[in-house]
Amino acid sequence: MAEVAIARADLDRREFGTRDAHGIFIQRLGKSFISRGNEIHALRGVDLSVRQGEFLCIVGPSGCGKTTLLRILGGLEKPSEGGLDFRIEHGNDPLQSMVFQEQGVFPWLTVLENASFGLTVRGVPREEREAASRHYLRQLGLIDFERYFPRQLSGGMRQRVNLARAFANNPAVLLMDEPLSALDEQTKMLVQEDLLRLWEGSKKTVIFITHSLDEAVVLGDRVAVMSHRPGRIKAIFDIDLARPRRALELRNDPAFVAIRGRVWDSLREEVLSSAATDRTDAR
Amino acid sequence: MSDDVDADKLAAGADKPAVSPVQPAKAPHEVFSSGERLVSIASPILLLLAWELSARAHLIDVRILPAPSVVLATIWELLREGQLAGDVRDTVVRFLIGLVFGVVPGVFIGATMGLFRWPRAALGPLVAMLYNVPRIALFPLVLILVGLNEFSNELMIALGPFFTMLITTMGAVMNVEPAYRDVARNFNTGTRHLYTLVVLPAITPALMDGLRLSLGLALLGTITVEFLVGDSGLGHLIWNSWTVLSLKQSMAGLIVATIVGAFFYASLSWLERLLIPWR
Repeated sequence: MAEVAIARADLDRREFGTRDAHGIFIQRLGKSFISRGNEIHALRGVDLSVRQGEFLCIVGPSGCGKTTLLRILGGLEKPSEGGLDFRIEHGNDPLQSMVFQEQGVFPWLTVLENASFGLTVRGVPREEREAASRHYLRQLGLIDFERYFPRQLSGGMRQRVNLARAFANNPAVLLMDEPLSALDEQTKMLVQEDLLRLWEGSKKTVIFITHSLDEAVVLGDRVAVMSHRPGRIKAIFDIDLARPRRALELRNDPAFVAIRGRVWDSLREEVLSSAATDRTDAR
Repeated sequence: MSDDVDADKLAAGADKPAVSPVQPAKAPHEVFSSGERLVSIASPILLLLAWELSARAHLIDVRILPAPSVVLATIWELLREGQLAGDVRDTVVRFLIGLVFGVVPGVFIGATMGLFRWPRAALGPLVAMLYNVPRIALFPLVLILVGLNEFSNELMIALGPFFTMLITTMGAVMNVEPAYRDVARNFNTGTRHLYTLVVLPAITPALMDGLRLSLGLALLGTITVEFLVGDSGLGHLIWNSWTVLSLKQSMAGLIVATIVGAFFYASLSWLERLLIPWR
């Protein structure tokens, strides 16, 4: 707890000196479930402040509750304790949209209909919503496939549809739940490039959950490391790599390797103690 | 809820098992090679041929099992006399009315039970109980309550499809992939769009499967009802011919009933391709 308090005070000094700063402020957030009569704490005392316009990656050992945290941010679950404050200017556009894992694409809608989904349910007229969706489909190389159904596409293309749907909805905040984790290594890098290109041209705030440290460092302005269960934010690292970044070239960059090493030292402890807990649980 | 990626993989810097970047779209129906297709056409023809030859060689008693050629000739005869067309029409009309009487309320009640907890709590045990009653045993009761008329026939035919569609629809609605509901909620989908763009398409494949089962049950119900009280229809033809020991007419009725069933089954496959183009 002491460690968290220090980290948070440090954060506030550096990034959020003024009271009216914009961002997403998470304070003392906790979530517990009842499972087989036992109370399981998925999250406890999560403190995190996200700057408006930044790309924040959250990594953590498996089962640390990072997906739960994102689902709370996305309004799909309610926290058991603590506070959540979106101080984000979004005008008439939606506040947030989530990018889901692969099964989040609707198999019965075409690529264009999937990409337009958010706009359709908001009642945006057909021509307008299709123009907005096509803009992103074109940038993601999907424009020739707009009449295809998802099952006719590769996994990488389906995840691009997922991205297009979120971007076309034009939210101020994008919440991404391991969107690329089902893709093979090469495809993943290509989609990372696409994501960086789309985001770098926007002013959107991104919170990106991943279990891949490489991915977090390639994409993020900052990387937050979560502890093992009950999850909290253990440490936050600034990733001072120049933008625009190229996902394909970055991995052998000495600066990238150095930063990844520092983050890994922090994450490794959590992975090891998480594995130790799993072994105890199994007994 | 859980991030179920094991720590060992994370430590090794590897990611989840790869999905191939370009996977060809799978054909929705099994594709046969030309040799296999030949066999699939040849086997029923060979069976008919064997039947015909054994009948002609008096290997089987033609009084019990008439040769296919005799059955075909009987069908032709019944058609010319004009009786068969009337029987087919009566059977098809009964079958379709019963099917609609069963499917429409079954889908609506099933959907209501799948969507809302209170109706499910109220009707769930009742449905489970009634589903296990041997339906044909209800016929005397229906005849007394509704009367000896066409409506009680249609009601009996409707029972099978009704329960099948109710249970299928309820299960399908309750089992809509949670990820789809999450997407809908996250995008603040309103009720109308939730039903038309998400729930309805998500349950359509299951509804088609239920409809396929219902088709068979409705035809079974139609023939049974015609056995029991009918004075027309293919069931009546089959049963009546048997009681007067005209087995070739009975067989003719059986063959025509099979053709009727196959026709509706094929129409359903066509409808399925039309309604589920994404499959």
